[in-house]
Amino acid sequence: MSATILTVDDSRTMREMLKLALTQAGYRVIQAEDGVHGLEVLKTETPRVIVTDINMPRMDGFGFIEHVRADDSYRGIPILVLTTESDAEKKDRARRAGATGWIIKPFDPAKLIDAIRRVSA
Amino acid sequence: MTTVSDPSQRILELAAALDFRAAAPLTESLLAMRGTALTIDASRVERIGGQCLQVLLSAQQTWSADDTALSFTNLTPGFVEGLRLLGFSEADFTKEEMPE
Amino acid sequence: MDAMAAVKQTFFQECEEQLAELETGLLAMERGEAESDTVNAVFRAVHSIKGGAGAFSLEGLVQFAHVFETTLDHVRNGALEPTADVMAVMLRAADLLADLVAAARDGHTVDSGRSEVLVGELTALSPGGAEAEAEEEDDMSDFSFTPVTVAFDFSDAPVDIGRSYTITFKPRPELYAKGNETVLVLRELERLGELEINCDASGLPSLAALDPEGAYLEWTIKLTTEKGEDAIREVFEFVEWDSSLTIQAADAGSSDAEPGADSTEDAFAALLRSIQGDEAAQPATTAEIIPLPSAEEREAVAEVEAQPTKAAAARNSESGANANAGAPQTIRADLERVDRLIDLVGELVINQAMLSQRVMEAGHVPGSAVALGLDELEHLTREIQDCVMAIRAQAVKSVFQRIPRLVREVASMTGKQVRLITDGEGTEVDKTVIDRLNDPLTHMIRNAIDHGLEKPEVRIAAGKPAEGVVRLSAMHRSGRIVIEVADDGAGINRSRVKAIAVEKGLIAADAVLSDEEIDNLIFLPGFSTASEVSNISGRGVGMDVVKRSIQGLGGRLSITSRPGKGSTFTMSLPLTLAVLDGMVVTVADQTLVVPLTAIIETLQPKAADVHGLGGGSRVIAIRDAFTPLIDVGRELGFRNTATDPLAGVAILVETEGGRRSALLVDTIQGQRQVVIKSLESNYRHVPGIAAATILGDGRVALIIDVDTVIANSQSDATILEPVLAAAG
Repeated sequence: MSATILTVDDSRTMREMLKLALTQAGYRVIQAEDGVHGLEVLKTETPRVIVTDINMPRMDGFGFIEHVRADDSYRGIPILVLTTESDAEKKDRARRAGATGWIIKPFDPAKLIDAIRRVSA
Repeated sequence: MTTVSDPSQRILELAAALDFRAAAPLTESLLAMRGTALTIDASRVERIGGQCLQVLLSAQQTWSADDTALSFTNLTPGFVEGLRLLGFSEADFTKEEMPE
Repeated sequence: MDAMAAVKQTFFQECEEQLAELETGLLAMERGEAESDTVNAVFRAVHSIKGGAGAFSLEGLVQFAHVFETTLDHVRNGALEPTADVMAVMLRAADLLADLVAAARDGHTVDSGRSEVLVGELTALSPGGAEAEAEEEDDMSDFSFTPVTVAFDFSDAPVDIGRSYTITFKPRPELYAKGNETVLVLRELERLGELEINCDASGLPSLAALDPEGAYLEWTIKLTTEKGEDAIREVFEFVEWDSSLTIQAADAGSSDAEPGADSTEDAFAALLRSIQGDEAAQPATTAEIIPLPSAEEREAVAEVEAQPTKAAAARNSESGANANAGAPQTIRADLERVDRLIDLVGELVINQAMLSQRVMEAGHVPGSAVALGLDELEHLTREIQDCVMAIRAQAVKSVFQRIPRLVREVASMTGKQVRLITDGEGTEVDKTVIDRLNDPLTHMIRNAIDHGLEKPEVRIAAGKPAEGVVRLSAMHRSGRIVIEVADDGAGINRSRVKAIAVEKGLIAADAVLSDEEIDNLIFLPGFSTASEVSNISGRGVGMDVVKRSIQGLGGRLSITSRPGKGSTFTMSLPLTLAVLDGMVVTVADQTLVVPLTAIIETLQPKAADVHGLGGGSRVIAIRDAFTPLIDVGRELGFRNTATDPLAGVAILVETEGGRRSALLVDTIQGQRQVVIKSLESNYRHVPGIAAATILGDGRVALIIDVDTVIANSQSDATILEPVLAAAG
């Protein structure tokens, strides 16, 4: 079984890092570079979990989450946001937008996998 | 999803993933069969979440209140594991709900 | 290379892009174009560098980026006005950030004093100044100081024997709607210890009244665990906001964590504690944890951005439009594949030319149906060639972007005030040229500031503004790219240049030279106007080296200067190094190509001008100067006997080193653009031959390596120093 994870991040470094950690853990990874691109990808793929950055060009993480949550066909997909350190305000906004949980950057691969396991069967 | 083997005994086959998305369709299917004796076939179930549990528990209560038989069959390990984590045992779903 | 090292490499590549973005954005802000998109992009660049640096535990970089980001955030939310003073600090901060990135990449350190000074300046800019920043620092220290964690460990110690907790958990519908799931939470909880789970379903309505996506159940869980309360809270981290949760130790008072407006702080504090706990438990860096990647992952990818879209983005930002708005779709392609495509199209062009020639030879007249079809084919072929070359084309922006920083550095080292104006940074040129543009351009800019511009006091005395202007521009002109570096300084001091040239023996004391000739003396090897070697223009490198490297690209460098008004250096380069403008000549029945960039003029030798020297070598007098006359046929071994110079044509060429020689060939066929085919990859290296090409008639023509031919001929025979000396 290899569940698909969609990662949305404008940073190539972060995308590669996420991919590395996730593929090691046996997940299939699909990538998007920002919110708009993420929505594009969702038209053809149904990931088990979405991991998204917040600060991105074109459409940020909040906008992306709101769009995903507003679309009935994506109901119930867990969305984890990548956020730095103690940013309580960002976490709060992400929650209100409909995020399932968060991953603190810089992330430890084990914690990333942990967080994904906590939101997906 | 339903097969009628005996006009008075209907069978509902549960979906594999009884998650958030499955709760509403499951409720609809059950409501459509209300008033008939029902066997719920769990043979395909891989996992079950809190909301589908609510629906199944509510169905048990409803069928009981309606004096109609409701039973579960073919409980898979995934289904039983989910029930266990949510505070229920296999026995809670296999004991016959017989009309009084 | 292990996978993490590969990601690190990506990180540093990305840093370069972000630093360029940062610089562009800051400069736009400095010009007063502080649109929110620009400010956001600037903020994002720093934020992104910080994020990646954190992943690789590059502490110094993280800390400075954090302070920088904080100040930028004040600009972003309008609390700080981006005045000229503010922007000056920001630009220096960007420079330091670039240095910190380079230091992290190359493993050296940056003077911590510089960092401290800028941290101080950035902090002072923040509204509330040092105070606000101190808070920020505290915030950070929560994550980096271990004592807090140690205290936490102590409090945790007594629980080691196993402790019981009673947890009540009642999800709200939002919990499910946001993708969380009770069963998963309980599964995680079970990882901590023994569970005794009871579900209260008393609130459950009958099926008809049930909202399938509602939440009616409440769980009471008894947990026996060796872990502390924080570990339990962490399990509920994502869901506590959307549920009612209490956690009570069996032998202690209750510790409610009812989420709500008033308890957010508590919950957040709990979160902080849990994070600290984890950091302490797993201090190892990510780099060591990740195992080796699969073969697939390891597969090397030498990727290159597909360029037209990048150039389109450059044009967007140039026109002031938001580059993000029309974020171009890009693909990444293996550079080798692009090169192969270019190669094939080159062959297609040749093939098409051959076909045309054969058709003409077969007697089809121009205007016939076949000829018209061929014209169309030729047109299409050329178009394909242009399109394919455009894939590798890149805007000079990537090179220009590094210049503002250089200007600031050189300005501060020389004590001069400089304003840089750039123009035409969207001008595209082949990647092969871009890659080699940086060095000559750097020298030209250094030279313009160091030697071109006057010191502020001198300028004021001359009635000019204290601030000098250096204008860097790029444009396309007749199939070449022209890059100009113009300063509004004092211009070339011709009497001084001439005096130095005489002193260094470069010209005769009584030589009569035009202004233009004097100006061009600065390109002579060994010429340097600075009396002491300046470490700015210098590194011991003069304009002669710059000129040579530009010629190495098939380019030309020239200067125009007006006393008191300034100088302009103009370099013109081919748009690509894949095709070449050449003069097709015949030598001993062989067809050869002489690169046009090397050629100064062609002439018919006259008997009176040709003089024999010892060892069979000859010189030709060309306008008052004796120039070695090289018999190309003999030099390349096409024939053994000397050619009669009067029957041939002499081509006056200049080497990259500035030496002039005349190449004697039999006849000149004409000029044309040829596609360069490497001889070495197809055959082997031949001395005196740079490459080959295939002409329209299918014949292979060798492209002469002018420098080597001249060098070889001089090692064969008596070396005659070509000087600008007046002939006696």
